[in-house]
Amino acid sequence: MTSHIDLAQRLIQRAARNAPGALAARLEEEWLADLAARSGTLARLRLAIGCWWATGVITRDFAVPQVATSGGRAGARALLGEVRADFPILSRRTLTFLLIAGFHLLLIYALASGLAQRGATSLPQISPAVVTQEIRPQRPTPPQVDIHIKSPVIPTTQQDLRRIADFDLRPQDEPATAVPTGPEITATDPPQPPVIQRIQGGPGKGFPNTDDFYPSASRRLAETGATTVQVCVDAEGRLSGDPIIARSSGIRRLDDGALNLAKAGSGHYRPSTENGRPVSSCYPYRIRFSLHD
Amino acid sequence: MGKKSSDVRMSLQTLRVLEAFLENPTAELAGSDVQKRGQLASGTLYPILLRLETAGWFVSRWETIDPARVGRPRRRLYRLTPSGLARASEVFASFGRGVPA
Repeated sequence: MTSHIDLAQRLIQRAARNAPGALAARLEEEWLADLAARSGTLARLRLAIGCWWATGVITRDFAVPQVATSGGRAGARALLGEVRADFPILSRRTLTFLLIAGFHLLLIYALASGLAQRGATSLPQISPAVVTQEIRPQRPTPPQVDIHIKSPVIPTTQQDLRRIADFDLRPQDEPATAVPTGPEITATDPPQPPVIQRIQGGPGKGFPNTDDFYPSASRRLAETGATTVQVCVDAEGRLSGDPIIARSSGIRRLDDGALNLAKAGSGHYRPSTENGRPVSSCYPYRIRFSLHD
Repeated sequence: MGKKSSDVRMSLQTLRVLEAFLENPTAELAGSDVQKRGQLASGTLYPILLRLETAGWFVSRWETIDPARVGRPRRRLYRLTPSGLARASEVFASFGRGVPA
């Protein structure tokens, strides 16, 4: 408890002693009295620190004479008394600040004007390091070889293969010698895929008659046309899926009749054959509806 | 009277100090009293009090008490001078804030 009061008192006393002359004693007593009126550690320390700040401001205020009325001048004289006589124009703090600022300005000027660089160049020159070249025993360089590729020919025949292998790898100063061709390469034709003879199927024996599926309405309206139907037929001649219209006749009724006919023909289709063997396949065929006299 | 407010720079903190005194123009206030009323930091308050005293707005004196008997040190008391009161009134009138009676 007393430690912070002592600290605050010491701070105030030291701050007041830095104040101008005759004001020092007055400010010290005044501030210590105000310190006694304060309660709380923080408030007392704040007051003490504030007194330090106030000392600086007061010092500056009384270093530069204030513009005051005649009454104000009289008050200042009464306050300061003999203080002005021994109070320097520049306080120690101001002088220190000016010295530091001047040093920095000088340093900045030196850097900007290149004085520092000139100073650096005036230093004795360090002799550059001598780099000696390491001499290594010369190895015999191989003779220069020219590589000429005559043409990018895809080897398809024996003659082409020999032409591709005909690189000129001889050294320029070396007489031409016969290039060993190695074992003879015989080009062979790629194996041909086996030929499959495919015969497409279609309506076979016992396939229903087209007229039986001619829509009666179309017959009355004399609608004629051809519908192409796509069917998938197994090896037995049966439909393996529902037939679909591959190309319409343009008349819905005729297309429906064609689909009915294609479905009814299941089991009577002639399956497609591959090399004579029946296989499952899908194929289109056309159904024509026409009126007979 | 001559110059009035040009004697002292009229900062916000200075106005707060004057306002604290104008609440009761005849009252004498210590620095700690002004600080409480004006909510000012001590580093700001004391230079203002000294400026105003130097400029003739305030007069100050030591409190006439017996510290040994009262149990506390004597305080420095500030009071508005008649000219200081007139100047302060003019300052506040110019700001349109009015002056306390």
